Amino acid sequence: MKATAVRVRRALAMRSGDGLLRGAVWVLLALVLATLVGQLTGAGGRPDAIVGPRLQPPGSGWLLGTDNLGRSLLPRLLQGIGTTLLLSTLAVACTAVISTALGVVAGYRGGRTAELILRIGDVLYSFPAIVLAVLVAAVLGPGRTTALAAIVLVTVPLMTRMVGVAARAVARREFVTAARISGVSAPTIMLRHILPNVAGTVAVQGTYALSVGILVEGGLSFLGYGVQLPDASLGLLIQEGGLYMVGAPWLIVAPGVVLVAAIMAINLVGDSLRDRFEPRETRSLV
Amino acid sequence: MTVGTPPLLVIDDVVTEYRTATRVVRALDGASLTAGRGETVGIVGESGSGKSTLGLLTGRLLPSGTRCPRGRVLVDGESVLDLPPDRLARLRRERLAFVPQDPIGALDPTLRIGRQLRLALRDTPADLAALLEQVRIRDPEHVLRLYPHQISGGMAQRVAVAMAMARKPALLIADEPTAALDSQVREEVLRLLFTLAAENGTTVLWLSHDLGGVARWCARIAVMYGGRVVEDGTTAEVLSAPQHPYTGALLAADPARAKGGTRLLTIGGTPPVLSDDPQGCVFAPRCDSAGEDCPAVRPAPRTVAGRTVLCHHPGGTPETVPARKESAR
Amino acid sequence: MSEPVLELDDVRVVFKRGRGHTVTAMDGISFRIAAGETLGLVGESGSGKTTTGAVALGLRRPTSGTVRFLGAAQGRRRPRGARAGAVQAVLQNPHWSLNPRLAVADSVAEPLAAVEAGRLRTHHPAALRILDQVGLPASFAQRLPHELSGGQRQRVAIARALITRPSFIVFDEAVSALDVSVQAHILNLIHDLQTEHRFAALFISHDLAAVRYLAHRVAVMRTGQIVELADAHRFYTAPRHPYSRQLLETL
Repeated sequence: MKATAVRVRRALAMRSGDGLLRGAVWVLLALVLATLVGQLTGAGGRPDAIVGPRLQPPGSGWLLGTDNLGRSLLPRLLQGIGTTLLLSTLAVACTAVISTALGVVAGYRGGRTAELILRIGDVLYSFPAIVLAVLVAAVLGPGRTTALAAIVLVTVPLMTRMVGVAARAVARREFVTAARISGVSAPTIMLRHILPNVAGTVAVQGTYALSVGILVEGGLSFLGYGVQLPDASLGLLIQEGGLYMVGAPWLIVAPGVVLVAAIMAINLVGDSLRDRFEPRETRSLV
Repeated sequence: MTVGTPPLLVIDDVVTEYRTATRVVRALDGASLTAGRGETVGIVGESGSGKSTLGLLTGRLLPSGTRCPRGRVLVDGESVLDLPPDRLARLRRERLAFVPQDPIGALDPTLRIGRQLRLALRDTPADLAALLEQVRIRDPEHVLRLYPHQISGGMAQRVAVAMAMARKPALLIADEPTAALDSQVREEVLRLLFTLAAENGTTVLWLSHDLGGVARWCARIAVMYGGRVVEDGTTAEVLSAPQHPYTGALLAADPARAKGGTRLLTIGGTPPVLSDDPQGCVFAPRCDSAGEDCPAVRPAPRTVAGRTVLCHHPGGTPETVPARKESAR
Repeated sequence: MSEPVLELDDVRVVFKRGRGHTVTAMDGISFRIAAGETLGLVGESGSGKTTTGAVALGLRRPTSGTVRFLGAAQGRRRPRGARAGAVQAVLQNPHWSLNPRLAVADSVAEPLAAVEAGRLRTHHPAALRILDQVGLPASFAQRLPHELSGGQRQRVAIARALITRPSFIVFDEAVSALDVSVQAHILNLIHDLQTEHRFAALFISHDLAAVRYLAHRVAVMRTGQIVELADAHRFYTAPRHPYSRQLLETL
C-alpha cells in the first residue's frame, strides 16, 4: 500500500518536472513561430500602419491595443520579439565561439596564459552588466551593433570561466597526459580531446548567456542605447509602454510578459541540459 | 561466537534486487551470514559480487527502488527489513556504524570537522578533542577547525573512524575503508579500527579485496560470489586450504601469494550479472572442477572442514601450471 | 650488460611553493633501466615516485642532473618531440585513461597517427592487430570506453602504449584500481608482452605484491631519495633498509 503511494508520488514529481521542461520548449517554439509567421505573412498588419485611435485597449481591429500613435501593438510586438531573439542569438553564438576558444586554451595551457585570460575576464565580470553595456554604447554610439557588442562583452567573461574550469578538469585527465606523452600536438589535443568533452558545458552556458543577452538587449533599448525607433525590440516596447503605464497598461504588460516568459523558458531548458550533461562531470571533478 | 548468546547479526537467505525502468539486477541471491558479538569478519569478493549491497543491507541503507523479496536480517534480534522508520533510525544511531570507502567525499565539504562531529554525535556528550586523540590525531584542536578538503585522506579516514566509534556501536561496517590509502597509512587506520573495535566489543564487517589485510585482522572470512557467501570460515583455515574453487582461484590470482617464478592463475570469463533465479551454481562456467551436476543443481550450504561451503565438489583445487621460464625473470 | 634505455644521473627536482618555500621531490636520483627489464618503483604518496615517472617520461625537466634516453641526453628544448612514439605510458585510473568520446580503435590508433601522421582511421588496421595481442577481439574496436569494464579499459590503454613499438613504457599505478582477478590478467599480460617486445619498463606502484610479480629490480623511494635499490629476489627475501623492512611487513 505504502509503497504504491510512494511510487505514484514519485511518478507525479517526475511528470511535473518533465511538463515544466516541455512547457518551456513550447513557449520558445511559439515565440519563434510567431515572429516568423508575423514577419513572413504580415499577419496582424504592418507594424508602422496607423490602424485606429491612440491608446485604445485591446479590441477587434487591434488585438493587443494601440500605442500612442495609433499603431496596433500586435505586429510591433512580433517584430520586437524577432529583433530581440535574433540579436541575442547572434551575440551568444559569437560569445560561444570566443569563450570556447579562450576557455579551451586557458584550460589546456594553464599557468600564465590561463591567468591572463581569466584575470581579464574577472575585471570585465566585476562591472555590472548594464554599466558595461552603456560604456560600449558611449564608444560605438547607439544601435544594433552596440547591442550586439554589449551582449558579447557581458556574456564572454562568465562563459570563458566556466568553459575554462571544465577544460582544466579535462586537461588533468589521464587520457590527455597519455596523448601528450605519445607526442600528439597541442592543437590536436585541444580539438580531439578537450573540445568534445566540454561541449556539454558550452551548451549549458550558452542557454544561460542567451537569457542574459535578452535582458541586456532589453535594458539597453530601454535606456535608449540599443535598437532605435522606428524598429521595435522588447526593450524598446517596454520603454515606450512605461510612459503610458497608467493610462494604457496593456502597452507594457504584453512585451513584459513575453520577456519574462522567454527568459524563464530559456533558463528551464538550460537547467535540464545541465542535469543531463553534468551530473557525471561534476561528480567526477571532486 | 560464544555458545549460548544469540548472534548479533543474522543475515538469512536474503535476495536483493535493484530495479530500474528497463531491467532487474539481482545483487544478492540468497546470501547468508551470521556474526557473533565482537567477531571480526572480512568479506571478500570481486566488484559485483554483492559485498557492498550486503553491507548496506545491514542498515537498510539501500537506494530506493531496491527490493528484498526473500530473507531476513536480524541485528540484535530486531528484524531490520520490517522496522518502522523511527525504530530503524534508532537502531542505526545506537547500534550501527559505517566507515565509508571515500572518507573525504563522505564528509560535508561546507562544514568544519568539529561541527560535523558535533552534529553526528548530537545527543552524546563527548569531548571532541579526546575523540580525535583516540585515533592518534596530533593537535586535535587545530584539526577540529579545518574543513574536509584541508586534511589528507588518511586523516579524513581517521576522523571517519572516530565518528563511527564514538557511540561504541555494536556493529561496524567498513566498506573498503582503506582502498584509497597508501599501504602504511592503510595499516595504521586498520590497526586503529580493529583495536578500538576490540576495546568496545564491536563486531566488525570489513568489506575488502585485500586478502592479506583480512588475513592479518579478521578472525573469520566470508567469500562472496554471484550474490551469495560461497565459503565462510576461520580466516587461517580458509586461506591455507580453500574448499570452494572460487576461493582457490582468488588466492591463486593474488600476486601477494604467488611464488616467485610462477605465473599468476587467472579466472577466465566474467562474474555473472543475475536477473532472476539462476539454474545451478553460478560459478560453474568459470570453474575448473565443475562436474555435470554443477550447471543444473543449485548448491546448498554444507559443512566441510569446519566451515560452510556452497559447492558440489569442495576441495577441488585447480592444477598448478608450469613454472615461468627463468630467462624471463 | 647492454646499453641502458633510460638512465637518470643524480637528478634533482625542486618545486617552488609560495614565497621562498621549496619542496625537493627528487633528491639525487640515479638509476638505469635496460631493454627488456622492469624496474619497480615503490614508495608512499609524496615520496617523489610520481615526479620520477614524469621526469622519466620527459614531462618534467629536472632542476639539475641528466636524463639520458638511448644514450642521448635529453635536450633543453622540446624534450618530447624527439622521443614521440619511443616512450609511452599506462596511467593509473582506468576510468579516465581513455577519452570517453573516442572509440577504442581511435584511441589506440592515436599514438601511431602522432608519429607517422595521417588520420586516425588510416591506422585502424594496426590498432586492430595490437588489440588482438592484448586479448580484445575486433568487435571492441568501435565501442566507447563507458561500454568497457575496468580491466578491458586498461587493456586498451596497454594496446595504445604498445602500438608504436616503444623502447620504454612507464606503468603508473596501472593495476592498483583493479579487482584481484582482473589484476592478475593484466599483470600476466604485461609480463608476456614484455617478453615478446623487449621494452624497458618503469613500474610505479604502492602495491608491493604487484611489483614483486613483475619487477627485476626494485627501488624504494622516501622523501625524494632512493633508500634501497636491489635485485627483486634479494629485496623481497632480505631487505636491507629499515624502511624497506617496514613496507614489506604489510605484504
